[in-house]
Amino acid sequence: MSQTVLICDDAIFMRTMVGDILSQAGFEIVGEAETGVQAVEKYQQLKPDLVTMDIVMPDMGGIDAVREICKTDPNAKILMCSAMGQQALVVEAIQAGAKDFIVKPFQPGRVLEAVQRVLG
Amino acid sequence: MDNQQYAELFLTESRENVSAVNTALLELERDATGPSASASVDVIFRAVHTIKGMGATMGFATVAELAHELETVLDRIRRNELAIDADLMDVLFRSADALELAVEAAVVGPVGEATPAEVVTELRGLAVDANTATPWTARAPNGEGVLVRIRLAPNTPLRGVRAFLIVQAVGKLGTVSIVEPSLEQLQADDFEDDFAIRVVSAATHDEIEKVIRKAGDVADVRFGEDPTERATPLENTVVEADRPAALDARRSGGDRRAAARSIRIDVRRLDALMNLVGELVIARGRLSQLADELGDPALEETVSQSSRLVTEIRDQITASRMVPVSQVFDRFPRMVRDAARGVGKEIDFIVEGKGIELDRSMLDELGDSIVHLLRNAIDHGIERPDARLEAGKSATGRLVLSATRDRSAVVIKVSDDGRGIDRAKVLDRAKRDGIVDQKKTELDESELVRILARPGFSTADKVTGLSGRGVGVDAVYTRVRALGGAMDIRSSPGKGTTMILRLPLTLAIVRAALARVANETYAIPLAHVSETIELEPDILRTVKGSEVLLVRDEVLPLLRLRSLVGLEAYQASTAIDLEQVVVIDVGDRRAALVIDELTGQEEIVVKQYDAVRGGLPFFAGATILGDGTPALIVDVSSLI
Repeated sequence: MSQTVLICDDAIFMRTMVGDILSQAGFEIVGEAETGVQAVEKYQQLKPDLVTMDIVMPDMGGIDAVREICKTDPNAKILMCSAMGQQALVVEAIQAGAKDFIVKPFQPGRVLEAVQRVLG
Repeated sequence: MDNQQYAELFLTESRENVSAVNTALLELERDATGPSASASVDVIFRAVHTIKGMGATMGFATVAELAHELETVLDRIRRNELAIDADLMDVLFRSADALELAVEAAVVGPVGEATPAEVVTELRGLAVDANTATPWTARAPNGEGVLVRIRLAPNTPLRGVRAFLIVQAVGKLGTVSIVEPSLEQLQADDFEDDFAIRVVSAATHDEIEKVIRKAGDVADVRFGEDPTERATPLENTVVEADRPAALDARRSGGDRRAAARSIRIDVRRLDALMNLVGELVIARGRLSQLADELGDPALEETVSQSSRLVTEIRDQITASRMVPVSQVFDRFPRMVRDAARGVGKEIDFIVEGKGIELDRSMLDELGDSIVHLLRNAIDHGIERPDARLEAGKSATGRLVLSATRDRSAVVIKVSDDGRGIDRAKVLDRAKRDGIVDQKKTELDESELVRILARPGFSTADKVTGLSGRGVGVDAVYTRVRALGGAMDIRSSPGKGTTMILRLPLTLAIVRAALARVANETYAIPLAHVSETIELEPDILRTVKGSEVLLVRDEVLPLLRLRSLVGLEAYQASTAIDLEQVVVIDVGDRRAALVIDELTGQEEIVVKQYDAVRGGLPFFAGATILGDGTPALIVDVSSLI
């Protein structure tokens, strides 16, 4: 059984990038979310093994989404997707319950390392 | 850019380079200090560099990244900054494997679950010299708890966040009493690559280091007040403790890993071993018969023990001869592409079951046959794009080569979605050649196989460079038969054709039922025996003048081995009240073979023999039975 992933990002391009990297590594992309609210809803509905979460999204940011998800499931495996220069935000996300982070532009090796750390 | 156009080129060339890397690595391993070592490293470096360039151009980031990291380490080896030892060789071999996997994954799609991430991390660890090059910059803070110094890997993204994650992780083992530089400074990225913490915890140094390394991007961890004083036992234990488990995991993860650990053996040696084991199996058969006759318990026990050992040796040798079909299948995508272009067709070529294993010599023998079948499909099966569109199909044809295991056989299929075999044309041609009855109006599947398998038979209107010279199906059929296999054709007009090759796993040794007819014994390979029953008169019927057998509502054509081998007149030395029937099958074709009686089962060693001209065509070889008498092996596929 391959492990399941929910990808949260408002940009299709980014969702596709992350999706390709993970599906090539054998993960099953079970859902995508474009907003923080969607991310929380889909998490409850799909219970994925892994979530990748963009920080800046419309209607509810990634950090608040992490907080909401971790309220009901403190063990949620959430990986933040960050751009350079978002240090403080990533720290905040980790304090909110995110387990690790990846940095854009995504390098497959780095992404998979982070995924392994979070799931291992 | 049309990447697909270059992908095959990339794949072929990268494979060559990977194999150059492996060859040079083997040389380097043999002679790490000698004069040829630096030449080997250069070869590896160049090959890796080439792969990196191609990978980057193709946009295969994983390949490029891995090649880049490997290149960095190779450069250090070149500059004598890294000593070549077993551990380093191990990492290099694994890197080569990972690179190969990454290349395949980039073009063909994911292969197994292996990801190069671990290797990349290891390479990064080797890329910097933790012992001498970089000084520890963070001030050792005074305070409670054990001092731990941590260095991040170079080019760690968001170093501050990583440091924060590490501190948070250690915090789960106890209390981090102090961080130097401060957490605020760390988060603000205001530090060199290392920082120091003090930890109050009941956890051992091993456990702490493990947690720290697991947080990611850690190049080095030191315990103790004086960073120059290396806490030797700890450092090594953690690394060593981690390694075997990780290695095992990787080994079980894929046989590619095992491949790097293997040695090359001339196939002829394996053939010789197989022959010897064959003789041993025969001798074992005789020995156990003799032991049975003597009835000495001690002897019987010894015989049964050595018998088990012989079985084990045979299994091991058989296994050592098995190779994944990918060894041959991997050449095909390029060939199909070139061939399709040559005849102006668009073909989507799919290979399935590459991991299925087959006897090495069988696979070698089969390569050409599969090429024939693929070429037939490309040349005759799949239509030109315009004709396909006209027929309401997609312009791109689909060609599938697959391998699957079915009991003790391997089934290889070549399927296309082309026009199918034109039966009317085949029938027409067959009539002209006088092969079939002029009044015949239809051909069923088995007749089709028989006609197409005739030497020189071809319906092709013109001869192309690919096929049509009439050496297609018949060559394949003959080859497959010689290997103890069978061939089937499924074809429906307008929908496509599937050629099915069914092959035994290994050439040399098979289990067989021994059938007595008159005073002779014949061996019937068990792979083709589905059941044995007694020939009760009430299940015998006659349909259109032919005898058939009714077995559980299934009507089976009936064959009498006695008549086939021309022994109708001979009386058996022992009288029989009821003849026995062996239900034989090849794929989904079944028949009932009547024999006098079954005398047992035995492992037989197949000896090929040169068929006598005009001899009976339904034997696949001969064997020597346990009692020393020879027996012919029935070629079941030729009977049905």
